[in-house]
This record gives sequence, C-alpha cells and structure tokens, in this order.
Amino acid sequence: MVHLSDFPEKQRNMLINQDLPDYDDTPCADGPALSERKIAIITTAGLHLREDKEFTPGVGEYRIIPNDTDMDDLIMSHVSTNFDRTGFQQDFNTVFPVERLRELASSGDVGKVASYHYAFMGATPPTAHAAVAKDLAGLLKSDDVTGILLVGV
Amino acid sequence: MGGLAHYLEREGLPTTQISLIRKHTEGMRPPRALCVPFELGRPFGAPNEPDFQRLVLLDALKLLERNDGPFIEDFPDTPPGPPADMEGWTCPVNLAAPETDLSDAEKYALDMKQEATLLRPWYEESVKNFKGRRLDGLTGYSPEEIIDFLVSFVDDPSINSFMEDQPIERALKLTADDLKHFYYQAAMARPGNVSDIQISDWYYGETLAGKLFIKLRELCLGHETEALQMIGRTNFVPNAMLKHI
Repeated sequence: MVHLSDFPEKQRNMLINQDLPDYDDTPCADGPALSERKIAIITTAGLHLREDKEFTPGVGEYRIIPNDTDMDDLIMSHVSTNFDRTGFQQDFNTVFPVERLRELASSGDVGKVASYHYAFMGATPPTAHAAVAKDLAGLLKSDDVTGILLVGV
Repeated sequence: MGGLAHYLEREGLPTTQISLIRKHTEGMRPPRALCVPFELGRPFGAPNEPDFQRLVLLDALKLLERNDGPFIEDFPDTPPGPPADMEGWTCPVNLAAPETDLSDAEKYALDMKQEATLLRPWYEESVKNFKGRRLDGLTGYSPEEIIDFLVSFVDDPSINSFMEDQPIERALKLTADDLKHFYYQAAMARPGNVSDIQISDWYYGETLAGKLFIKLRELCLGHETEALQMIGRTNFVPNAMLKHI
C-alpha cells in the first residue's frame, strides 16, 4: 500500500508541509438538486489518450477526455512516481470513475453526464491553473455543466 | 487541485473534490471536499469494486447540494476485499540475481535485454488478461530501444537527448516510464490483488531495470542541470522504495 506512512520521514514531511498559496474563502456557487445536475470530472492524475501529447511538468494545461472515449485508451504521464498505479491499470474507475458516474445518471441519482471531462497534471503550482481555469469554465458552461468533481491521485 | 476548485467556483461552477492528503486540503480551503483514507493513487479505494466506488462517488457528489463551505467531510470506510499488500505475490518470472556491474554498459544493456525477453510473454499475457489495456506507449519505443537509450545516458550523462523532439530530461522521464510500465504489466500477468508496493519491491530489489533506475536517480541528482536534478528527485525511485538504495 502506498500510504504516506510508507514514506521515509523526511520525504513525508516535505510532501505534507509543502508551501501552498493562500486563498480567501470562496463562496459556494448554487445549483439544482443533484438529480438535476450535469456532472463533469476533472482529474489531476495526468491522464490523456495515447495519441495526445504528454503533459509538460509545471504548466497549467489540460487534456480533453470526451465522454464517449474508449477509456481503456487512457494512459498516465504524471510526473510523480510516489503513488500506486496498479489500481488504475486494473480498473480506470479507481482513478477516473466515469462508469460509476454513468451508472448514477442511469439510476437517477445525478441528472446527466457531461459531454467532456478534463485532465490536468498534478504536482503543478496551483496558481499556474488560474488563467486556464477561466477558459475551462467557459467550456464547461457551454456544455451546461452544473457540478464538477475534482479528483487527485 | 484545490486551486482549481477556487477558480472554477468563482466562475459560478459548483465543485466538490476527493482529497487524499487532508493537510493539503485544510491549507487550500476549497469550497467542498471529501477526505478519503485510501492509498495514494486510489482515490476511489480499490479496482474492480464498483459498489464501493459508487458509494464514494455519490458521497462526494452529494456535497454539491451544500452551500456552507468551505468544509471537509470524511469518508469513514476502507475498501472491501483482501488487503492489496497480502503476502504471496511472486513475479511470474524467476529472474537471476542481478550481478552485472553498470560500469560495463554494453554487457549491462545485453543482460537487461535478456531480462526484458524473459518478461515479454508475461507482458503479452497480461495485456490479453486486461483485454488490450496497457499503460506503456508514451514514446513508441520498444523496451530494447529504451534500454539502449537509458544505459547510454549512464555511460555518458553529458549526452544530448536521444529523442528528437524532447530535451534529455523529458526523454529520460518518458522512456523510463514506458520501460517501467512494461515491467509492471508483466508482473501483473497473474490474476490477483497485487499492490504497487509488492511489485515495486520486486522491481527495485530484484531486477536489473530497478538497479538501472537507482543509478539514473543518482546521476540526475548529481547532475549540474537543474532539470535533471528535478527528475532525479521525482521520477526514478518512489519515496517508499528508497530503502533499496
């Protein structure tokens, strides 16, 4: 198991105590009941399709994962080696639960699944995402998304 | 990830997130977060556990209906099934103890290619078991080509990149990832609940490839180029495997 407790103390403390930017509290945006929402997944696992260009470390860029993609074509070019990849290898839903999301849409627990999901590279300075997030917000709104699940690894 | 939550929420888009490192989430104060007690790399707990994954997902999504953030909720359960670090896993191939010395680069490359040859049928079996799913393919190079590239860097760390469109640090990262994925895929050929730790202990403790990665880490950490020092820190040997150095 790759828990933080498996790390040597020095590396564990470096990871836990890394400098983070200060953000003022952000008021929660409102929306309808979950059963009426359209949900998109944004992963920071560095996922992309095999034919996509791999991620460049430190750059706030994203890759598009269309909802009708064959998710078995997803690969990972995350910069870090410090997390388990065998779970993703065995079942992409361990990291990117798009099949579970579709099931929740079928059962009526959520409204719809977005047409597009997005992937970023983790271990990127959070402030590097500021500019691209504005652009991404426009794309999500044009897809009528009303709820976003953010997932790291 | 917490930064994205702030930026998107400020654009009027409600967000919720899965958190694996609580202290980071406490520091970033995203509007809504579900903290999970799972291992790094498994934000939905375990592979092939759809009921459990759905439970985690629904708990995270239900937070969207709350507007009293920032808050962090905790998911209480651990994944079902046997623990991933159960004893008894062995690599399908019994590799000879790596005795080759990296000072003889040519012989090391030859011995590594023999190692890759032994693993090849298990890699193919594993891809078949996973219905074609594989994680290598970042570069398109074969394991044998990558072995030549990586050993050539060990032989001469001042070489220019061996990939036309990538600087040396990116070429090392991408080819090393591809080679490691080949080994890990082969190691997962036998069905069962294996973990990254078990396979990594085998990779870094028993294979020539692991020994090469430890050397690559050492060379990059001591390199004058900052970009190479960076991948020396992050790319070749996971923190949990530093015990093999």
